[in-house]
Amino acid sequence: MKGKYHICVQNSRIRYEFDIKRNITIIRGDSASGKTTLFSMIESYNRLGEDSGIEIVSKKECITVNNATWDLILDKHNDSIVFVDEDSPVIKSQEFAEKIKNSGNYYVIITREDLPNLPYSVDEIYGIHKSGKYADTKRIYNEFYNIYSVS
Amino acid sequence: MLKIVFGDVENSIYHPPTYFDNTYEDEWITNPLSVQMIKDIDKSEVIGPRVIDSPVLGSISVKELSGGVKTLMLMAFDKSGKIFNASACGDNCAKWICNIAKEKDLTINLHHVMSFAEVSGFQAEILNTGKIVNSYDEYLAETVKIKER
Repeated sequence: MKGKYHICVQNSRIRYEFDIKRNITIIRGDSASGKTTLFSMIESYNRLGEDSGIEIVSKKECITVNNATWDLILDKHNDSIVFVDEDSPVIKSQEFAEKIKNSGNYYVIITREDLPNLPYSVDEIYGIHKSGKYADTKRIYNEFYNIYSVS
Repeated sequence: MLKIVFGDVENSIYHPPTYFDNTYEDEWITNPLSVQMIKDIDKSEVIGPRVIDSPVLGSISVKELSGGVKTLMLMAFDKSGKIFNASACGDNCAKWICNIAKEKDLTINLHHVMSFAEVSGFQAEILNTGKIVNSYDEYLAETVKIKER
């Protein structure tokens, strides 16, 4: 995969809208900012599709992996956006790094840990905060903000 | 006193939110300390031991609380002797970790350099080196000596 992908994930109460620009994106930040909720919504959509009540708009398939199934799932996908939550210590392993290196997927990894095995840019480390764009609506709109970039 | 150990350590729980979901007690939720932490971190109100009112998610169960506040409750109330990974907590949990450690000896595990910059009078023992740090600057200086994460 190459280029930038715009992703929208929403249900009746909450909406996430963000761009993924590189093959590895890191999400971190304060507790209760919605990181795990985003992951859970994508996971529910993977299991139930539109029956989940969740809508995902993305040119590429969004999938989730966990500590138990990551290698089996990644073997079957090479053109997807893969979300990994912070409960998966495998992200620190050399095995995981090798799999990413040889993969065409984009990866969005939720973690506060440094991952020295993975070649990610400091410009692609984001937090999540509420957007001011739609403050008058009932749905909470969330967007990514760059944690470390000075530009 | 707060004791911090960096890197993998025996008897630690890497993902405390899952451990919490399977071990918490109802009375933890309505404890005044938990009510305050849930209000501050999750911006949510404890309605009862099994119901929380979230401004974002609506009426939620205890299992839908943030990973950070679940980890804080384990640090405060768990009696198993486990060491909990505070890297499941955002920096907005740092002051609460220090508050809990004022009431008892609390050992936490970190896999990243958590910011305690907002905590006045920060003090901790870094178990990897045995050093007691008496300020956030001393803490940062000590963490650069430690390879384990």
